[in-house]
Amino acid sequence: MNAKHLSPETVSERRLEAVRLRLDGLTVAESARRTGLSAPTVSAAWKAFREGGWEAVPIRPRGRPTGQAHRLDETLQRRLWQRLTHWPDTDEPGWSSRALAQALSDAGAGDASPRAIEHWLATQNLKPSPMALDDLARRRSREGRWFRQQVQPALERLGQGSAAHWQGGVRVAVPATSAENASRRYQLYLHGKRGALYTRCFTAPPLADDYLTLFARLASRGPMALIFHGAYFQACPEIQGWLDDHPDFALINVPPNANLRAASTRG
Amino acid sequence: MTTLTHLQRLEAESIQIMREVVAETENPVMLYSVGKDSAVMLHLARKAFAPSPPPFPLLHVDTRWKFRAMYEFRDRMAEEAGMDLLVHINPEGIEKDINPFTHGSAIHTDVMKTEGLKQAMDKYGFDAAFGGARRDEEKSRAKERVFSFRTAQHRWDPKNQRPELWKLYNTRKHQRESIRVFPLSNWTELDIWQYIYLQEIPIVPLYYSAERPVVERDGALIMVDDERMPLEPGEVPMMRKVRFRTLGCYPLTGAIESEADTLPDIIQEMLLTRTSERQGRVIDHDSAASMEKKKQEGYF
Repeated sequence: MNAKHLSPETVSERRLEAVRLRLDGLTVAESARRTGLSAPTVSAAWKAFREGGWEAVPIRPRGRPTGQAHRLDETLQRRLWQRLTHWPDTDEPGWSSRALAQALSDAGAGDASPRAIEHWLATQNLKPSPMALDDLARRRSREGRWFRQQVQPALERLGQGSAAHWQGGVRVAVPATSAENASRRYQLYLHGKRGALYTRCFTAPPLADDYLTLFARLASRGPMALIFHGAYFQACPEIQGWLDDHPDFALINVPPNANLRAASTRG
Repeated sequence: MTTLTHLQRLEAESIQIMREVVAETENPVMLYSVGKDSAVMLHLARKAFAPSPPPFPLLHVDTRWKFRAMYEFRDRMAEEAGMDLLVHINPEGIEKDINPFTHGSAIHTDVMKTEGLKQAMDKYGFDAAFGGARRDEEKSRAKERVFSFRTAQHRWDPKNQRPELWKLYNTRKHQRESIRVFPLSNWTELDIWQYIYLQEIPIVPLYYSAERPVVERDGALIMVDDERMPLEPGEVPMMRKVRFRTLGCYPLTGAIESEADTLPDIIQEMLLTRTSERQGRVIDHDSAASMEKKKQEGYF
């Protein structure tokens, strides 16, 4: 049983129960089996009990209390939005949190750590999760067939390993706190190596030129495969023409309604 | 004694209206627009006259701009019901290539729907036509009677309507006059969805949420259903999870963003919504009281 996603209260109760079982003479393994905790957790609870009594058994809350994280002030947030609605001056395909922090610092517009910017992106609903493509090749489903028939041949044609592709998409981003559509924004996003997020925002749906700028920035890195979700490029002759002129750039559209369960991302 | 539920009462009322029309008129027809109300109306008609197929044909006044999924569904349902399907397209509209983009929604609706319906009624000599309109859809529909009389020129006079006390319907009419009959008048959108759910009535998949290519036009999400949809320079349709609360000509029908991909989800969404389904119809935004004007001129 995996107790990883249990609430802190439940884990504390189970740790107390594990200690009681140990006191009743059960082994660590048996206590772990009965409480659904792992053996190291039971051992840790037992050790805490021996050193500090019952009070030491429940887990203590970790990290900063909710709501006390460093918040970016409004001026800084406005400046971030201004940056996000323009392409980076470098040839990056979008803004990473590191690049945003650097740009703000270079312009003397304020200091914010990449981590603080990541948190801010999450609060603005600008941090989509990457698609889970790892085990698709083995899946017997519509998505698995798509991966085997479209993604794998494209990667092989470009001579790339399965990990050397980029993925991305376009979406409407509405912050969870927004009452209406007033703060609705359109977001182009990419996930690069190890799921690193690159993003660019718009106040209206992106046009062909916006997509082509993105593709050109990616294409400048060499042969490229981009798995993309959220746009209907078949209806756009400009993009089709550009793709014809760039055979080293493979644009692979995610089929509509594909169930590519998003992988969870860290902080 | 068994007490009928709310939906059973509505069902019984609608079936009674349909049987009354078949008994009292000579050449009735059922207008079939392929939407959810038409699906319920067709289901009720099949129930009303089972085990025989309903003793009237289906008439689809086509504009050539319906969603592709609607055409597929229409043909399948007519075949399943064992009913004749009459499809009428205004030949003048075809000749002049009337379409919502070049000519605008008002002219398109007038030529392809209003005039098309009048032509079909005259062509086949129908004296009664069932329609799936409901009173909760729109203001002018709210004041229309279940049996709505039309002059020989198919005009409706909202100030000259017959009383329908105790659900007694006066079906007498002058020669060449016709009646539009609305068996679903007293149903609400929620009733329709609950009935579809309980009776497992098939509906066009467009009512369920799915990722579809859409563009934004004046705040409405318009689905790019085929290559005839003109795009703005450089425009790229976005794939968004949308569904339709109402179905008409695809360039004139706005989708709503929704996650409801099952009937219970749709019903739940219905319970929370505070807008009319026809807010998604561009043709209803033409001008104030535009629906009443269209109806006076013969629009369904």
